[in-house]
Amino acid sequence: MPLRITLHTTAFEPLEALAQWQQELLIGGQTPSAAESLFIGRVRGEAADGSALAALELEHYPGMTERQLEQLAQGCMARHGALSCLIQHRIGRVLPGEAIVLVAIGADRRGPAQRCCQELLEALKHDAPFWKREWHADGRSTWITGNTPL
Amino acid sequence: MLARKPPGALVSVAPMGEAQANGIRICLFAGLREQAGWAEQHVPVAAAAQEPLTPEHLWNSLQLPGPLSSMRIAINHQFADPQTPLQPGDELAFLPPISGG
Repeated sequence: MPLRITLHTTAFEPLEALAQWQQELLIGGQTPSAAESLFIGRVRGEAADGSALAALELEHYPGMTERQLEQLAQGCMARHGALSCLIQHRIGRVLPGEAIVLVAIGADRRGPAQRCCQELLEALKHDAPFWKREWHADGRSTWITGNTPL
Repeated sequence: MLARKPPGALVSVAPMGEAQANGIRICLFAGLREQAGWAEQHVPVAAAAQEPLTPEHLWNSLQLPGPLSSMRIAINHQFADPQTPLQPGDELAFLPPISGG
């Protein structure tokens, strides 16, 4: 099953990444999935304390993060019978409005596509070693411990 | 509450960044790294150790900040329990709460 995971050190455009992925699947002989579900996450303009956010810093654990994402994606695809999976994730300094994550799942029906996308996103947020640090306009920074509510 | 059990002679911490053959590489991340003041250390393992070294032993002997129960542990890039026996050459990571996506 086609699976691609990319960690971007600079800004990426999620819809362009998705279009390129779909094109590559076509070239590879895969017919377009009947159902596709995708999630795009972007940086908010506000920090957790309500102040203006200058940037978000994404740290990861090189080697383990990629491995964990692959294991999570393969498990999730198998459970839901998904046909393809694309994960794009930012690392480094990310500005408000920029994309942090794209998850795109192809499947034969909307149910598996949507369930797989949601489950994988939640798994990624809780079980792939990434850490966020908020940088405030005054130069302060705060490590985020945990995730925003669903 | 985890038992505080310094491994004594089993562990001596090498200067930061100094590689030790057949030792254990310990990695810290994010806020934990900044609180501890270091990112990586190598700990030699005594060949004649009477009991296996574990992440819990190392957490205590290195006097890392906060409760170990608030951390996740990875050995060789796989999640593991605090009592998992460590082997020479292992890479041990203490992971503060994850916030991806």
